[in-house]
Order: sequence, then C-alpha cells, then structure tokens
Amino acid sequence: MATRLNDKITAALIALGICLLVYISLMSPLLVVMIIVALLVVLLTYCEKTGIMDKVLHLLGSNTILTSVIFGLFIFLLPIIVQGNNDLLHIMIIAGILGIVALGLNFQIGGIGQINFAPAVFYGVGAYTTAFLSVKLGLSPWLGTVAGACMAIVAGVIIGLPALKARGYYLSLITIALQTIFTLMIINIPAIGGPNGIPGIPPYQIFGYSLHSSIRVLGMRLPYQVNYLYLVYILLALAIVAASRLFKSRYGIAWNAVDQDPVVAATQGVNLTKIQLLAFCLGAAFAGVAGSLYAHYTGFISNENFDFSQSLILICMVILGGSDNVPGVLTGALLLTMIDQKLMDYSNLRLLMYGIVLIVMLLVRAKGLLPKRVRIYDDRDRSTGAGEAKLAAEAGGKR
Amino acid sequence: MGSFIASQMINAIMLACTLALIGIGFSLFFGVMDIVVFCLGDIAVAGAFCILGLTSLTGVYAALRGMFPAIVSNIILVICGGVFSAILVTVMYRTVVAPFEGKNINASLLSTVAAGYVIRELIGIFYPGGRDPQNFPNLLPAGCLFNNPMLSWRNIIIIGTTALVLVLLYWFVNRTKTGISIQALSQNKEASIMIGIDWHKMVFVTFLIGGFLLGVAGFLSASYSSTLRFDTGAMYGLLGFSVAVVGGLGSIYGALAGALVIAFVEVFVTGFIPGGAAFSGVAGFLIVVLFIIFKPEGILGEKSISKV
Repeated sequence: MATRLNDKITAALIALGICLLVYISLMSPLLVVMIIVALLVVLLTYCEKTGIMDKVLHLLGSNTILTSVIFGLFIFLLPIIVQGNNDLLHIMIIAGILGIVALGLNFQIGGIGQINFAPAVFYGVGAYTTAFLSVKLGLSPWLGTVAGACMAIVAGVIIGLPALKARGYYLSLITIALQTIFTLMIINIPAIGGPNGIPGIPPYQIFGYSLHSSIRVLGMRLPYQVNYLYLVYILLALAIVAASRLFKSRYGIAWNAVDQDPVVAATQGVNLTKIQLLAFCLGAAFAGVAGSLYAHYTGFISNENFDFSQSLILICMVILGGSDNVPGVLTGALLLTMIDQKLMDYSNLRLLMYGIVLIVMLLVRAKGLLPKRVRIYDDRDRSTGAGEAKLAAEAGGKR
Repeated sequence: MGSFIASQMINAIMLACTLALIGIGFSLFFGVMDIVVFCLGDIAVAGAFCILGLTSLTGVYAALRGMFPAIVSNIILVICGGVFSAILVTVMYRTVVAPFEGKNINASLLSTVAAGYVIRELIGIFYPGGRDPQNFPNLLPAGCLFNNPMLSWRNIIIIGTTALVLVLLYWFVNRTKTGISIQALSQNKEASIMIGIDWHKMVFVTFLIGGFLLGVAGFLSASYSSTLRFDTGAMYGLLGFSVAVVGGLGSIYGALAGALVIAFVEVFVTGFIPGGAAFSGVAGFLIVVLFIIFKPEGILGEKSISKV
C-alpha cells in the first residue's frame, strides 16, 4: 500500500537525518555544536507543541526494523566515515557505555520515580570487580564482565533494600549517603588500588584476537577503538531492546504505578518489594556491564571515575534527555557526552556546566527534551486505516 | 593515655561544634520549608571565602584595622561574611527552591544538589587561585588559657560561639513572636497561614538567620583548620545533612545531638581502631543510613504518621 511505503520512506529519511546530525556534531568544533544543540532544542520544542513529535516517534516506532538497520549501518560504517579519527570514535564509545548506564538508571528515575544518586556505585562496582579479577587473579575479561554484573546486582540489592522502608525523599538521601560511602571506601582500601586505582587492565580477547589491535580495511588502518565501538554498540542494542520491552511489559506498567501511588499499586496486587528491587537490580546489572566495558576499554580505572560527580552527570543525562523513555535517555547520553568531550579544553567549566544544565532543565522543562509518550494500550486496530483514524480521534479529543 | 583520650575528646567536641552549626542550618530550613537544601555547606564556604577576599584580596580589612581596634574589625568582618551568606541563601532560594515549592519534591532535592555544585565551581573558577587551598587568616586571638594547648583561645571561642548561638536561638525561637511563628509554621503550615502568620516573611527571616549562621560556621571551621578549599563545602553539606537527620530534621537541639553522635563516632573510629582514619567518614555515613532506615525521625524528632 502506498501509505505503507510512504511511511517507510519517511521513517528512513528521519533516521538518516538523525545519523547525519550526529555525524556533523561529531566533526564540528565546540561552538558549532552548541549552536546545533540550541537549534535542536528549539526544533524539539516546536515539534512537541505542534504534535509533530508524536507522529515522528510513532512512525519510527512502527518501522523499528528499518530504523534499526539504518542506525546499525551508520555505526558499522562510522569508522570509515570519520576516517579512523580515534577521538571521535572515543566519544561514540563513551556515549554508548554511559548510554547503557543511563538506561539502567532510567528504571529508577523514570520507572519507579525515585532519584537514585548512586548510579556511579553500580558502574564502579562492575568496573572494579572485573579489574580486580583480571589484574590480580588473571581471570578472563569476559568472565570478569559477568562477575562485574553479578556484583553490581548485589550492590543493587544493598541500595534497593532500604527502598522498601524509606520512600521518595528519604530514599534519595540514603542513596547520597551510600554513594559517599562507596567513594570513601574505594579510595581507602589498598587491596583494590586505593587512590592509585587499578592500572594495566587487560583488553578483551576473542579466541586470541585482542580487541586492542588495530584492523586494516580498504587500505586504511583503523585504530583499535573500532573493535570496542562494535562491542559497545552491540551491547547497547541489547540494552535498548531489553529496556523497551520492559517498558511495554507488565513490569514497566507496575513501575509507573508504584511511581504514581505505591499504596494503590499495592492494593492492585503489585508486589512492591519485588518490583522495586527489580528496578534497582536491573539498573545495576546494566551499569555493571557498562563499568566492565569501560575498565577493559581504557585499561585503567581510579576512584575519580566513580564519584558523586559521575552520578550527577548520569542523572543529568536522564533528566536532560527525557526520563522514562528510551529515545530520550539515549539522546541525553549522546548529547552530554559529545558536549563533555568537546569541552575538554575548558575542563574547568565541566561541572559548572552540568550543574547549570540540570537546574535549567528542571526549571524549564522537567520532562526532558524528549518527554515520555502517553502509553497506547490498544494496539489491535493499529494496522488498519480505521484503527488509525480511531486513535487519531482519541488523541485529538485528549488534546 | 589519659591525655590521649582527653585530646581526642577535645577533637570530637570541636568537630561537633562545627558540624552542629551547619546542621542547625539544615534543620532550620527543613523546619520551615520541609525540604533538605543540600547546598548549605557550599554557602558556608562561600561566606568564608568572602571573609578571605576581604582580608587578602582587597584592602578592606587593612582599612578597617586602621580605623578600629583589632577585635572590632574582626567582628565586622565576620558579620560581613554572615551577611554575604544570607544574601546568597536568598538568591539560591529564589532560583532553585521557590519554583518547586509544593510541586516536585525530588526536583528540589536535585536542583539544590546541582546548586551546590554551581556555587562550588563558581568559587573555584572566579576566585583568583580558587582551585588551590587557601591560607585562612588567623582572625581569632592566639595563645591559650592557662597555657594549656588544648584550651587555646581558638577552641574556646569556637565552643563559646556554638553555645552562644544555641542560647540565642533558644531565646529567639521560644520567646520572640517571630520565633514562635516560625515554630508554628513548621508544625502546621496551613493553620499558621489561617491565623494570619505571614509565611513569606517568616521564611525570609529564617533565611537571614540561617544564612548568617552558615557564614559564621564557615568562618569558624576555616579558622580552626587554617586552610580553606573551595570544595570542602561538599563534605560540609553531606555532614551537615547527616547531623540534622541523626538528630531529627527540624530540631535545633537535635542538630547538636546529631553532631555529638557523629563527631564522637568519627573520632572514636580514627583514634581507637587501627587503620581507622580512612574509615571514619564511612562510619559516620553508615550511621546516617541506619537512622534513615530505622529511625527517620532522628534522636529528638517526632514520629510522623502519614495517613493514606
């Protein structure tokens, strides 16, 4: 049908447009990126007001295979497009890693509505576990990553259990205290490196091929970042699928119910303990894997990577991009990582920028750049024209 | 052994005094506004930086010394620091707390944390050499009472100021009309407004007092350690909030009780547990976590039962 093809072409064009935007932002200097970001914010606000955003996201959502293929190809060809510039690849890798952590954090901030100030604890537990196991005990990095995820889940239970007794506000205070305890502990325990961190973390190896080796393609010598780019984005894709499915599942709905009113949710049969622990542990697992990726990628970790500022940065990503929806969180992660890396020359201003961005976002647009969409429960009639008309009528009536 | 214990006790008391002053600030704000404002530690440090700036950067202090005797100029300087902090508190309230009033409580917590970062970074960026530790001028009289180093004038003044603050606050909160209005406000806001208490004016007064107190607290702790770093505000904020929570958010004497508990725990862990110096902070925060989970109303707070 013509409309189907039209839809597919529009979706493809939008996806390609996004890829182009990312590419341009990567290549440009800081000032241009700031201008692009400002324009983007204006564009997004305009799209929200006129309802174009709903249509765009609906379009992209119905053609997931097409858009995933386009994004996948973009990442696959990125090293060649940027001609092996390892700085730019580094930006994308870090954006991917922090994107995974942010998706996990989103389960707590967006899902059950609790601000968790300690995502860096999960991130750090994953990183330190795998670093310790690989460096001191010689374990394979892959096993170390799995162990990192498991230890992070344990940390998730530790931080999530107080959630059962303390709600909202007090829970956030507990997470602040636990983040501080974690930072103090990793500085002071000599066995895991103390203030010097853990250097010399081995890279991943697949059947003897170390991911730290550069590859040769089409006559170009591409840096080792390429391997990590693919690894990180494969895992990010898995995380996106998991997060989206969780959002649409009964668990996601239960999370939102607990966010709105835990007492009502409990009376409707939601097991508060299980659901809240799930949010913390799943988020922790994501962050643990991301932490292990980071450790093996950079080869060196220290306490500065996992302190309160890092937690604040992650919270900023979720809030800026849009809490409780996957595209929003990813946008926040990508945007902030790009700006952060471009701000390297002005590293003095880094934390100031994050603080101001957070305050401004909370004041002006607490829902983020890409706010969460209203859930559509009745999917059955979507495929026919009648169904679409009905949905459009309902949406029009709501507005 | 005896003098070791005695010196540890003095350490604990000094630490408790500093923490108590900041904790009182937290409790005051929580009592009136029902939110924890996380940037109070940074505001205290900003007050101390103001005093530092007046002495080292500008010639104001020298000019004052020319006109008045030392003790008067010192007091004027401390008052300036306090006033600066009070102004900063009001600005901070207008920008990051007032917009979220009654609405999103999580957002206000997040924005005050962010505001703390902003204040800290602004000091680090805009104060000349702000990122380096600064030597704080010795404005308190030197020397000791009875020539006993533990009873130095500095220590006595710090303890004395804390006691004075507590006495003044007690008088203010219990014996003046404004103070009683503030108490009423923290107990039941709607009823207070209904009987005609001007809520905004009371909040403003609380800020002035709280801000001034924080400036003084910053000055005292900087004088005690003789150095000032732009990022000590982070730790003060965390410790101040811990102290207030342990003692009971909203209770002024609770802040003192909480400060004593945390200070003694920290000094005990540092002094008497081998290798404990590193973990004193951990012990302190662990106590806070336990209190929030099992006794969120703190030592002196009142249990509140929320109805469905």
